[in-house]
Amino acid sequence: MTDLSGLETTPEVGDDKLGPAGAATLIADFVDVLIPGERLWPSASTVGVQGHLALRLMEERGKNALPTLVKAIEAAGGPLAGLDEAARVAVVQRFEEAEPDLFGWVRDATYIAYYENPFVAEAIVLTGHPYELRPHIKGYPVRRFDLASDTPRHGRGRYTKTSDVRRVDISGLDLESNRTQAWGLKR
Amino acid sequence: MTKSQDCDVLIVGAGATGALAATVLAQGGLDVLCLEQGAWVEPGDHPHYSSDWTWQRRTNWSSDVNKRHHPDDYPVETNSSQVLMWNGVGGSTNVYSAIWPRFRPSDFRKGDEHGLAPNWPISYEDLAPFYEKADRLIGTSGLAGDPAMPPRDPCPTGPLPFTRAASRLAEAFDKLGWHWWPAEAGVISENYDGRPACNGCGVCNGCPRGSMSKFSISIWPKALLAGTRLRPYARALKIEKGPDGRATGVHFVDRNTGRTEFQGAKLVIIAANGVGTPRLLLASDNLANSSDQVGRNLLHHTLVTSEFWVDEPIESHMGYVASLLGREFAETDVNRGFVNGFQFNCLTGTSSAGDAAAGWASNAKAPWGRGHHEWFERHFAHGIGVHAIGDDLPNPNNRVTIDPSVRDSYGLPAARLFYEPGENDRRMMNFMLDRMEDIAKAAGAFDYKATDYRDEHGVYRTPAWHMIGTCRMGADPERSVVNKWNQSWDVPNLFIVDGSVVATGGVVNPTPTISALALRAATYIRDNFRDLSMTTRPMAA
Repeated sequence: MTDLSGLETTPEVGDDKLGPAGAATLIADFVDVLIPGERLWPSASTVGVQGHLALRLMEERGKNALPTLVKAIEAAGGPLAGLDEAARVAVVQRFEEAEPDLFGWVRDATYIAYYENPFVAEAIVLTGHPYELRPHIKGYPVRRFDLASDTPRHGRGRYTKTSDVRRVDISGLDLESNRTQAWGLKR
Repeated sequence: MTKSQDCDVLIVGAGATGALAATVLAQGGLDVLCLEQGAWVEPGDHPHYSSDWTWQRRTNWSSDVNKRHHPDDYPVETNSSQVLMWNGVGGSTNVYSAIWPRFRPSDFRKGDEHGLAPNWPISYEDLAPFYEKADRLIGTSGLAGDPAMPPRDPCPTGPLPFTRAASRLAEAFDKLGWHWWPAEAGVISENYDGRPACNGCGVCNGCPRGSMSKFSISIWPKALLAGTRLRPYARALKIEKGPDGRATGVHFVDRNTGRTEFQGAKLVIIAANGVGTPRLLLASDNLANSSDQVGRNLLHHTLVTSEFWVDEPIESHMGYVASLLGREFAETDVNRGFVNGFQFNCLTGTSSAGDAAAGWASNAKAPWGRGHHEWFERHFAHGIGVHAIGDDLPNPNNRVTIDPSVRDSYGLPAARLFYEPGENDRRMMNFMLDRMEDIAKAAGAFDYKATDYRDEHGVYRTPAWHMIGTCRMGADPERSVVNKWNQSWDVPNLFIVDGSVVATGGVVNPTPTISALALRAATYIRDNFRDLSMTTRPMAA
């Protein structure tokens, strides 16, 4: 059975300096730097992303994760209240550079919580796309396959029949050399 | 410990292949009992009905067993692969995407073709009737007539909708002069067998509607109706062997009561997937392993992935997740610098706005701060994913073993999994990455991102959706674990019917082939049960 002992449900949400209210404000300010309000888009804190983030942080990374996040933002120059936008961005940039793994996890969790929100879903629809928060329930209207127009007519493609399989000459491949050390995207 | 009356056939594992085997054998009049360590997964259990399904899909509904915190699972120690596995009735069909292509004839003859992988002991033609039977049982969709594949019967339902993403891809492939074909899917495009047609929701990681063949909905009712007894929460601990060399039954723990029981059987079938099956055999005093091949030759496929985005809004969040299959490079051409081939599994886009921003197929992420919304508006519903999936060469060092120290809560050793791509595989993936970029350019993409799944240390961390080859079939008892009927060379009344038996991986998602193999093996067992229930030696080479 998976060990769940690291996932206690009694987090310490703030630190001595900020207290819980200050820590909550800090996280709300932080998510607004990641996703600010703009035109039809609400800001992240407006739709309550910070609450989801705090819970998910605790559930997935343990009870110390939330105070760790608060301290990491503080170490980068937070709290953010009272700072102008450029200074807030600078704090978050420093956090990203200092704690890339934690920052990446928090950024992704922030994005996901934001786009699970009905107000944000409505904004997506207003950009011109059908969008459902729970599309599985009714689905999307997708045009049926039209055999007349959608069937490929290119005539390309081949396969080797069982009886036609022949030995290929691999003597020039030198596969024993193990020479392709630079492979993938970094070549 | 309690002991029950012997059954005819005892199956370990209620996933895709266990379900199919149970159906055939119970319909054939045999007394079939199936042990499943996990639970039934009811439609309402799935995350699809919740607004937070994206988050759930990344956490407690992740297909990666090591990202969940689920008591039905068992530990899989690995320093490389992400392991797709769902332990429960229906197995990984609870979380898969059901892309449904078949192997090709040359996949069964790699020994003849280049000798760097073995021939299968059977041919494509041996399996073809069971592909057709599996399609009818499971419910599939697709378009017959692909010139890149052998002739076949029509799918039970016609092709799924040809999305705008598919159109855009088809234009790109035409420009390149490459083959493409509408994707075959284990998803029904019309109402079929009491299940509703796909509604195009795009949340294609399992399907509680049952439009995608979730085997607890599509197959298990048939097996149960035929008389199969299914025991969920029953974790197999050890297969017992008698003095005559035959399997006598399975020790298991009832996870509800904590009681250890022994179930005797005339014949035992293991259907526990490419990790669970070798784990159980190795933990059963190295059973069926005189060849030393149990756990070896783990195949994941070579896999690299890309995404590109086009200016035209193509609503790629709508419709079934796969769009086209591209088989231009599926056969060996040594002029490319490697043997074996690969296929493009072209997708649509993600149905999740959250995934579009936080990273989907290529893990491309929206920027934070000012500019986030502009990026999202340009990218969401404009993206197309492409997987290139290839035939990796079997390597005995890529393997599943049992961990010497880590054990599950019932004392069974954890599975330990090691995999790294070889020279031929690396060359193939380089070629695949270059060709995916060709597709993006031909499609007129304004943005493109690819992933080779290598981490910052260069380790290939494949999302190992396919875990196959670890108890391979063959014609030589010294180089394979089972014969052409999935029968153990060492233990004549022991059969393995899951994906561990494939000798090579082909260039495609393996579930259709594994399903056909399971049907073929089960049919053989049904037709020869009287002899198999007594014999002390394998019946056929």
